[in-house]
Amino acid sequence: MAFETLDPSLALPAGPGAAIASDARYQALDDAELQAQFSRPAEQEGLTESWLLVDGMVCAACAQSIEQRLGGMPGVHRVQVNAAAGRAKLIWDQRQTAVSTLFAAIAQLNYRPYPVQHIEGDLQRRRQQRQALWRLFVAGFCMMQVMMYATPIYFATPGDITPDMEQLLKWASWLLSLPIVLFAAGPFFRSAWQDLLARRIGMDVPVSLGILITFVASSLALMQRSGEVYFDSLSMFVFFLLGGRYLETLARNKVAGNLEQLAKRLPSSVERLLDYPASGESRPALAHQLRSGDVLRILPGQAFPGDGVVLDGHSAVDEALLTGEGQPVDKSPGDPLVAGSYNLHAPLLMRLERLGRDSRFGEIVALMERAASEKPRLAALADRYAAHFLLAVLVLAALAAGVWRLIEPARAIWVAVAVLVVTCPCALSLATPAAILAASGRLAREGVLVAHPAALEAMAEAQRVVFDKTGTLSHEQVLLKSVQVVREGFDAQRALALAAALDAQSLHPIARALQRAVATEAAPLKLESLHEERGQGVEAWFEGERYRLGRASFAWPDFRIEDSIDVSSLLADQNGPIAVLHFGERLREDAVAALQALRVQGLQLAMLSGDRSHSAAAIAAQAGISEVLSEQTPESKLAALAAWQQGGAGRDAQRVIMVGDGINDGPVLSRADVSVVMGSGAPLSQSDADLVLLSNRLGDLPLAIALARRTQAIIKQNLCWAAAYNALCVPLAMLGWLPPWLAGLGMAASSLLVVLNALRLAR
Amino acid sequence: MDILLLLVPLSVVLVFIIVVIFYWALQEGQFEDLESPGRELLDDDDR
Repeated sequence: MAFETLDPSLALPAGPGAAIASDARYQALDDAELQAQFSRPAEQEGLTESWLLVDGMVCAACAQSIEQRLGGMPGVHRVQVNAAAGRAKLIWDQRQTAVSTLFAAIAQLNYRPYPVQHIEGDLQRRRQQRQALWRLFVAGFCMMQVMMYATPIYFATPGDITPDMEQLLKWASWLLSLPIVLFAAGPFFRSAWQDLLARRIGMDVPVSLGILITFVASSLALMQRSGEVYFDSLSMFVFFLLGGRYLETLARNKVAGNLEQLAKRLPSSVERLLDYPASGESRPALAHQLRSGDVLRILPGQAFPGDGVVLDGHSAVDEALLTGEGQPVDKSPGDPLVAGSYNLHAPLLMRLERLGRDSRFGEIVALMERAASEKPRLAALADRYAAHFLLAVLVLAALAAGVWRLIEPARAIWVAVAVLVVTCPCALSLATPAAILAASGRLAREGVLVAHPAALEAMAEAQRVVFDKTGTLSHEQVLLKSVQVVREGFDAQRALALAAALDAQSLHPIARALQRAVATEAAPLKLESLHEERGQGVEAWFEGERYRLGRASFAWPDFRIEDSIDVSSLLADQNGPIAVLHFGERLREDAVAALQALRVQGLQLAMLSGDRSHSAAAIAAQAGISEVLSEQTPESKLAALAAWQQGGAGRDAQRVIMVGDGINDGPVLSRADVSVVMGSGAPLSQSDADLVLLSNRLGDLPLAIALARRTQAIIKQNLCWAAAYNALCVPLAMLGWLPPWLAGLGMAASSLLVVLNALRLAR
Repeated sequence: MDILLLLVPLSVVLVFIIVVIFYWALQEGQFEDLESPGRELLDDDDR
C-alpha cells in the first residue's frame, strides 16, 4: 500500500500577526529535493506545476478567494482550486516567485496548505479513474444507440421494415459495437489473457469468451444475412459489468482511504533549536536532516516528526490518529510524544528520541504494509475456489451447447453464451476479501490494527480469552504507592528526588514510575559515575556520597524489606538504608467492563501470570477472573494453552484468543489461535500479533470480537447468496430461458450486492 | 422511409462526435468537481 504523506507541519493557523513567522516555516519548501515531491515541470517552458492540499475550505467561495489572491501575485500563471477535493494546482514561475511565498499567501487567508507528496502516484490514480469513467461512458453511450437500432426490429410487425432497412440497422449496431468490444471491454480481455498466460482460469475468462463468441457469431450472422444478432445484449452486458466494477472500485477506494488515514502526516520540515538550552535560536530543518537528540519547537497545529519527550511547555496533543482516542491528551515536561500526533494548544519543545522506521509511527506503517501485502494471499485462496467453479461453468456451457445443437441448432450458441455470462464468480471470490477489508478499515478507525486479516475468522469462532497480567489487565506502568523513610529525620521528598535521579536513565517500569512521581518539580540532581547493575539496581555518586537504589540485597544487604504484594526498592548510601519505595500495579480502568462484555459474548476467561500467586490473585479478583494460573514459566504457559486448545478431560477443544503485552509472552502469543497485543507494549515491528489494540483500551477487544462475528456472518450471507444465485440461474440459462442481456444484468447486480453487503461492516 | 438511409448513418456519426466531446470534457477535468460550480451561482461577487 502506498501511503500518501501530507504535511501538517506547514499547516499553521496564520492570523495576521503570524504571517512573518509562517513565511520562515514554509521556506523549507524551497528546497529542490522537497519540492520535487509535489511539483513537476509544467508544459510551458520554464514554469513549474505544483499540487497542494488545502485544509479549511468549506465552499466554492473559499476556492475563489484563494484563486483571486494567488492569481494576482507576480509569477503565478494559473491557479485551479477544487473545493470539493481540497486540492489546488498552481502553475508558476521559479524565476519570479518562490513556492514558500505562495504557501504563506494561502496561510494568510486562514487556510492550511500542505504539499501533496508522491505527485506521480497521485496523478497515476487520477488517470486510472478517468480512464475507467471514459470506458464506462463509451460503453454506455454506444449501448443506448445500439438499443435504439434494435428496438424497431423487436417491435415492428413483419413487413413493416424492409430486409434492406433491417440490414442497415444491424450494420449500424455493428459499427457502434466496435468501440465497445475493441476499447471498453479491453480490461476484461487483458486480465483474461494474463490469466491464460499464468495457466489459470480467472473471473474474466468466461466473460471474455462470452463477449467474443457473441460478437463473432453475430458478425457472421450479419454478413451471411441469416440468423440472429445480439449486439444489443453484448453492449448491455459490457456496460453493466463496467458499471459494476466502477462502483466496486469507488467503494474499495473508500475503505482503503480509511486505512490510509491512519498512516499519514509526518511533517517534512520543522523548527530545530540550534543550541538548546543556551539560546533559543532556531532554523527550519528538513525531516531527513533530523537526528535523534535534536531539540525541536513544535507549534500548535504541527505534527511531531518523531517519538520523543517534552522538554518545555504545556499543551494538549491529539493522538487520535494512532490510538483512536478522541480526547486530547495533556502533555507536560517529561511526557512522551508520539510521531504523527498533533500539537493542539501551545508550542512545545521536544527532544527527539526515535525517527523514521524506529518510531512508533514507522512501526505502525510497517505493520499495515505487511497486512496489506497479505491480502493477495487471501484473494488467491478465494480465487482457487473460483477456479474450480469457473472450470465447471465452461464445461456446463459446452454441454448446454452440445445438447441444444441436437434440439434447436440455431439457439445452441446463445444458450452457451448465457451460461457463460450469468455465472457470477465475482460474488464468490469477492465475498471474503470485501468483507475482511471493510472490517479491517472499520477497526483501524477505532484504534485496532488488524495485522493478519485472516485472524478475524478465528476470532469469530474463539471460545476462550486468556490474558496476561502485567501490561494487559493492569497498567504496564507501575505506580509509586508510598515512600517509607527508614532513616530518622531524612526528608521524603529528598529521598524521592535522589531515587528519581538515580533511575533517570533507566527504562525499567519502576524507573518510569519514579519519573512520573517526581514529575517536574525541580531540576534533576547532577550525579556522577552512574552505573547500572543489571537486574540489581543503580549506583551513583552525588556530593561525595555513594548512593544505591535497587534490591535490598544490592543496596544494603543487611536490610530486610517486609514481604508484601508490592514491589519494593531500597535507597541507601554508604551509611545505611534511607528509604523503601513501594510500587504497585493498578488494574486498567476499563478492564472490569470489558471482561463483563466478553462474558456476555459467551467467552470463557482466564489469566496466566508469571507473578507470585498472591499478586496475581489480587489483580484477578479485581478484574473478576476466577480461572487464574500464576507463577507460570513460559513453558508452563504454553502447556496450559495447549491443554485448552486440545480439550480432553471432559472439556471441548477450544479456540483461544491470547491477549498480552507482547514483551515477555511472545511464544504463547504465537501459539494461540489469535494473538492480541496492547499497543503500548513491545516494538510492534518485532511482535507478530494478529491484532494490536493501539488505544490500549481493553474495551476494544469485545468490539473487535463482535465485528469479527459480524464479518463472519456477512461472509456466510455472501457465499449463500452467490451459491443460491448460481444454482438458480445456471439451470435457467441452460434451459434457454435467460436471454444473454438479462444474464449480464444478473451478474453485475449480483457482484454489486455482495460488495454493498460487505460495506455494511465499514459503517 | 428512404430518409432513414441518411438518418441512420448520421446518427452513428453523431454518437462518435458526442463521445469525442465527452472525452474532451473528461480530460479538461469537468467531472472532477461536481459540487462547487453549483454553489458558485449563488455567489454575489462577479469575477
